Amino acid sequence: MPAPFAAIAVTRLSHTFESRSGATTLALSDVSFEFPAGRVTSIVGPSGCGKSTLLLILRGLLAASEGEVRFLYGAERQPGPPPRMATVWQSFNLLPWRSVLDNVAFGLELGGMGRAEREARAQDAIRAVELGGFEKHFPGQLSGGMRQRVGLARGLVMQPEILFLDEPFGALDAQTRLYLQEQLSALVERSGRTVVLVTHSIEEAIFLGDLVMVMTARPGRVAATLEVGLPRPRGLDAQKTPRFGQLFEEIYGLLRDEVRKAMLERI
Amino acid sequence: MSEIASREAVAPPVPRRRPRRRDETWFYGPAAMLIFLLAWEAGVAISGIPELFLPRPSAIVVSLVTLFATKGLAYDTALTLWRIFGGFLLGSMIGIFLGVLMGTSRRIFATTDIFVAAIYPVPKISLVPLLVIWLGTGDLFLIVLAALGCLFPVLVNTITGVKQCDPGLILAARDLGASRAQILRHVVIPAAVPAIFAGLRLALGISIILIVAAEMQTARYGLGAKLHLAGQILETGDVFAILLLLSLIGIVLTKVQSIADRFVGRWRAT
Ligand SMILES: Nc1ncnc2c1ncn2[C@@H]1O[C@H](COP(=O)(O)OP(=O)(O)O)[C@@H](O)[C@H]1O
Ligand SMILES: [Mg+2]
Repeated sequence: MPAPFAAIAVTRLSHTFESRSGATTLALSDVSFEFPAGRVTSIVGPSGCGKSTLLLILRGLLAASEGEVRFLYGAERQPGPPPRMATVWQSFNLLPWRSVLDNVAFGLELGGMGRAEREARAQDAIRAVELGGFEKHFPGQLSGGMRQRVGLARGLVMQPEILFLDEPFGALDAQTRLYLQEQLSALVERSGRTVVLVTHSIEEAIFLGDLVMVMTARPGRVAATLEVGLPRPRGLDAQKTPRFGQLFEEIYGLLRDEVRKAMLERI
Repeated sequence: MSEIASREAVAPPVPRRRPRRRDETWFYGPAAMLIFLLAWEAGVAISGIPELFLPRPSAIVVSLVTLFATKGLAYDTALTLWRIFGGFLLGSMIGIFLGVLMGTSRRIFATTDIFVAAIYPVPKISLVPLLVIWLGTGDLFLIVLAALGCLFPVLVNTITGVKQCDPGLILAARDLGASRAQILRHVVIPAAVPAIFAGLRLALGISIILIVAAEMQTARYGLGAKLHLAGQILETGDVFAILLLLSLIGIVLTKVQSIADRFVGRWRAT
């Protein structure tokens, strides 16, 4: 039996974007971190600090200018090939000309799975996010919250060992967001998956996370890492506990100056 | 959880095809046309304008029927349609193929864009003398002429459509394991379909114009040829009959195109 996936180890990661005109943006600077397997790591930071960039690099969709990402396996923490991964995007990124069913089955289709099997699996995933009955709908016919559940189902159907979420609820209204946070929390607790969640909401970072990584304004560095330590399963009342309030204040304290910096820089 | 769930999640599925409400102005156009034709008919009869100058609508219909029944107009119609579609399909397929290449590869675009810029503005009808020297006056000449006319609008629209593809969709496909070829087939080309269709719509119109115009100049058979001939021998009824036929063909093709548009873009109808 192959050794179980243990962690994503990131060492001295930096990334510079170069535009066509030659202007350069240092998005990430010297980030070292370890994302432990089976846990939810939340990443918070002011907007533009390189969170999405970090996620793309972790996922292997962007080559970092410097540093490395390794996937470690077993107690000996041997580096190995990347495990199965899937991403959920802030802007959903569903193919608008494909039905819900065909969107969810898309990854399986790309992998060459036959129609009957991939549709059966997609059906299960669609039911898991409570979208049964909407298989034939197109994304344009769904609300934002429903679209993001399609996005979630599309990722989950790939049975990823690591699930990346980039501000998955950022485009949704407050109630929908709350509901999906609860759903995601339950899902994560059931599956015990490794999750990396980017968010700009401190509450969301704490509520869903086991660890919170706080980033500085651009160029993004790791400002601090906090253990959440709230018991699971977590309900909405977790937000009323003193521990939650204490974490919130601590993270906000770290972020306040960074947010001001990021804001001033944009003027 | 279920309480919130019922608020957000479980709206009953909306029916896919809403019965479209009949627009109560649908008969205005046909009625106006009918009145126009009646006025034409009566006007010619009362004023005594000679048939040679302006035939009555009823006489035009008679001419059309006679042309089909005794003068083999069906053959000319079939020939013209074959040329129109032959040129349209050839030019469009090349246009889509080159458009995808130019839209996805910066190098190919940089190399070939200057040729597009040079050839696109040339009125294609002005290529008739050269093409006749090279290809003669047969079907090949006509089809190549129409294909050249169709190529550029399709090409330019395809390039635009391909370039406009949302990079987020490409990222999502890569995340799900898509290869370059799969991204092209499942993301980039489908995303360009509305733009490609806009190009095809232009191209079909251009193909009709070029084929009929070139047939008038060079061909012995085909609607353009028959139209030219009828004009030379002052068969005004036949001229109008062929114009009527071209108009009907145009209407049918436009209708077919909008049905195809609606079918391909059905995901946009909410
Ligand atoms: N493709 C790109 N080209 C150039 N600059 C980019 C690109 N993507 C992101 N950036 C810049 O890099 C910085 C970090 O971006 P991003 O990772 O999206 O931030 P965040 O997700 O934290 O809001 C920003 O200043 C952004 O403008
Ligand atoms: Mg971002």
